[in-house]
Amino acid sequence: MGNERILEVKNLVVHYLTARGPLPAVNDVSFSIEKGRIVGVVGESGSGKTTLALAILRQLPRLTRIYKGSVMFHGIDLVKLSEKEMNEIRWKKISYVPQAALNALNPTIKIIDHFIETGNAHGINDKKLIVEKAVEIMKMLNLEPERVLYGYPHELSGGMKQRVLIALSMIFEPELLILDEPTTALDLLTQRLILDLIKDLHRRTHMTVMFITHDIATIADIADDVIVMYAGKLMEKGDVFTVFKNPHHPYTKALMSSIPDLTGDINKMRSIPGSLPDLINPPSGCIFHPRCPYAFEKCKREEPPAVEIKPGHVVSCWLYSKQ
Amino acid sequence: MDGSSSALKGYMPVLKWFTKRLLIALITIYFAVTLSFFVVKAMPGDPVQALIQMFVSQYYMDYDSAKSLAEAAAPFIPKGSVLHQYISYLISFLHGNLGVSISYSTGTPVKDLLIQSIPWTVLVVGSALIISFAIGILIGTGMAYVHGSKIDSFLAVFFSVIRSIPEYVVALVLLIVFGFHFKWFPTRGAYSPNVTPGFNLPFIKDVLKHAALPILSWVIVHVSGWALSMRASTVTVLGEDYITYAKIRGLPSRRILVSYIGKNAILPLFTSFMLSIGFMFGGSVFIEYIFAYPGVGNLLYQAITMRDTYLMLGVFNIIIVAVVISALIADILYGVIDPRIRRGA
Amino acid sequence: MKMAQNGSSFSELIRNAVEDWIIIPGKIIARNKRGLVGLIIALGYLFVGIVGTHIIQEPQSFTCIPYEPPSILKWPPSFEHPLGCDYIGTDILAQIVYGTPIVLQIALTAGLITTIIGVLVGLTAGFKGGMVDTVLTGITQIIMTIPGLPLIIVLSTVIRTYQPWTIGALIAIRWWTGLAMSIRSQVLSIKQRDFIEAAKVLGMKTHHIILREIMPNLISYIAINFVFAAVGAIYASVGLYFLGVLPISTYNWGVMLNMAYKQAGGGASVAALHYFLAPILAIVLLQTGLILLTYALDEVFNPRIRTEVS
Repeated sequence: MGNERILEVKNLVVHYLTARGPLPAVNDVSFSIEKGRIVGVVGESGSGKTTLALAILRQLPRLTRIYKGSVMFHGIDLVKLSEKEMNEIRWKKISYVPQAALNALNPTIKIIDHFIETGNAHGINDKKLIVEKAVEIMKMLNLEPERVLYGYPHELSGGMKQRVLIALSMIFEPELLILDEPTTALDLLTQRLILDLIKDLHRRTHMTVMFITHDIATIADIADDVIVMYAGKLMEKGDVFTVFKNPHHPYTKALMSSIPDLTGDINKMRSIPGSLPDLINPPSGCIFHPRCPYAFEKCKREEPPAVEIKPGHVVSCWLYSKQ
Repeated sequence: MDGSSSALKGYMPVLKWFTKRLLIALITIYFAVTLSFFVVKAMPGDPVQALIQMFVSQYYMDYDSAKSLAEAAAPFIPKGSVLHQYISYLISFLHGNLGVSISYSTGTPVKDLLIQSIPWTVLVVGSALIISFAIGILIGTGMAYVHGSKIDSFLAVFFSVIRSIPEYVVALVLLIVFGFHFKWFPTRGAYSPNVTPGFNLPFIKDVLKHAALPILSWVIVHVSGWALSMRASTVTVLGEDYITYAKIRGLPSRRILVSYIGKNAILPLFTSFMLSIGFMFGGSVFIEYIFAYPGVGNLLYQAITMRDTYLMLGVFNIIIVAVVISALIADILYGVIDPRIRRGA
Repeated sequence: MKMAQNGSSFSELIRNAVEDWIIIPGKIIARNKRGLVGLIIALGYLFVGIVGTHIIQEPQSFTCIPYEPPSILKWPPSFEHPLGCDYIGTDILAQIVYGTPIVLQIALTAGLITTIIGVLVGLTAGFKGGMVDTVLTGITQIIMTIPGLPLIIVLSTVIRTYQPWTIGALIAIRWWTGLAMSIRSQVLSIKQRDFIEAAKVLGMKTHHIILREIMPNLISYIAINFVFAAVGAIYASVGLYFLGVLPISTYNWGVMLNMAYKQAGGGASVAALHYFLAPILAIVLLQTGLILLTYALDEVFNPRIRTEVS
């Protein structure tokens, strides 16, 4: 506590344009990230996690129509920066790791060229320097630099690709690293390996990490703080121990009960009934009420405000609102 | 431990693949040559009678002079059973001997006629192919960038309509308008009789002037196909994650356009480009006929109207060999350009 | 009771068929402007091809009244001869109309045969796999290396025929290969998908899987290729008539082009323009209509759009 806040997101709103109308992918989200911590962002797919990351990086897709609110990074509002100024921060200060299962590397160029072009794009033209840096990080990630650097993406396994993507994001030693589902679609052993490497990397470099996942168990494993998102809205946030020990929001509770318990009965594991709402025609009131077992009249009418029930622990739910 | 033998081992699969591919190519050539031999030989009627009839009807000769001309050609017409002819044709084909023509100054080796006409076709169709490919790629990439817009959907329909218009229609319109009406370009032949062939400026200018309309006819029709393929290919690539990720990494848009979009979008078109090179001899019949251009297509037309069996076969087999070889080269080069194929093979 | 039931189910069958094949496609095409234009053009040609020859008098040479200068056109368009007459005084419109059925017959035959052979070979190769696939693919690829247009030209001199049906079949001999290969690769990729595996696990017979599960995925592809084959056949046949390698029995667009071509030059190019224009426009308009029609076909067989409309 009391650490420097390196990122503060306030009332962030992102709308996409679709054939059926505007789609609020991120809707009035506020949170902050303290230096040196690992913040986990959790939610089902379609909850706006990736949009949140892309909004911080200012790399939203072309069909974005509304982008407002503020993203303060060291006191500078990224939303208001010019593209040129943003380019100085993007990748050098805030970096991003996509999912390896995605086809994120150019299939027709070698891995080494990915490092060189990334360096070049940010003003470093010394090839030797870039390669040295790449080798250094790859060693930290248990990759054989000689083999990997001169290979093509298709020659790497999923776990190796994920590590290459992490290495690529780290060549400028960024202050904030955003990892977008870095363990999704990998086998369990590789997931374990990647998580351990990220933890190890964090221990050595003390960088700040925003870790996006749909798997709440991973959050418990790796994160210091957690942000629970649902349908573009923030449901609950706080430090992992508080939130997981005593989840308040019915959605968080539901997510928690979907974790398989080694000692418990498999039958107790539940999935959440229902599915994500249609974001173009969202339900009235609280966006979670159609799936909420505790919903009452007010939930259908009015949107719940975010309430800080303990310092740092925020819940958006009428059950805990004093009104 | 043993570096050289393991390096050799690394090449073994490639060598094996290449041998297999070469074998398939040779078998394909053999069957295609055989098939066309029997098709051509199935042309009905006695060749001498056919010649006489052709001379009379096509050249308005009187029967006697037609007959004497045709009989002069008779010694050059192969005799014996079809099977016997087939075997001796195969043997001479392997020796590079394609027989003699009975229509073009009777007795001229087919090979010589081919050697004279191939350069003209390569000039016209080859340059038209390269021009239309280059323009098509530019247009297609542009369309993909504005994919879904009004201009894009209009151009998509426009080009698919243009692609269906026969090139002889385009060639005829160009011939009438720019050849006969405005007289900007010559209307027939590869060069004027008053220039001396050779490496001199007047000759080159004259050749280019003669080639302009044939090339233009071909380009107008074929640009649309390349543009549409490039558009589809680029749209796919634009949706790939590596493009998004390259933008997030802050790569300059020129780098993304060239080594991300360009390289990945042109690759799938590469094979069809190579195959078009092979097929260019076969596709030039109409345009060469219309502009009386002395290329392979015109040679084939002459061979067919004059029932010149061996000339016909010669043109056929040149095209078959060109198609098979260009497919083979396409396969090999594709492996060199696309790393996924290279190591995966 | 039973009779009545049969009757009602029969009428229901008819009603369903009308719904499936007329009402829904009609609604879809009506929504799609390009497709509608294409359909109207195609139906227009069909009308001219079937009815036109009964309305318009058969063209005869030397029947146009010679037109004297000041016009440089020898027989320009007039009230009596809307498209003018050719250089031997034959009404051009009548020639176009009498040429239409032949072109349509060739296109239809070539489209049908191309589709049937292509689908059969493609499905068999894709489904049987193994030796059958290797042999069929090998044969297809050998035929593909033989230059298409030259082969058709030679074949047409071998089989000297006046019959449009035979000419269509002849053109199809070379055209089916592309369709066969793409159907084969589509079958191969569909075969990999889960629902086919599921159908096999459920014990469905192979041909049943083809008909029930794969056909809906392929039908729009096949329909569009049918039209493309027709477009290709029109291109090839008119071209062959233009070159003069097909025997001529009656009025024909390609022959008109050839006559105009042979008349061109000699300073009479502008005067000859209307000889060219009629057959050229006839071909271009027909090809355009057919290509536009494919846009509609794409939607007519698209299950998502079908449910949207109904």
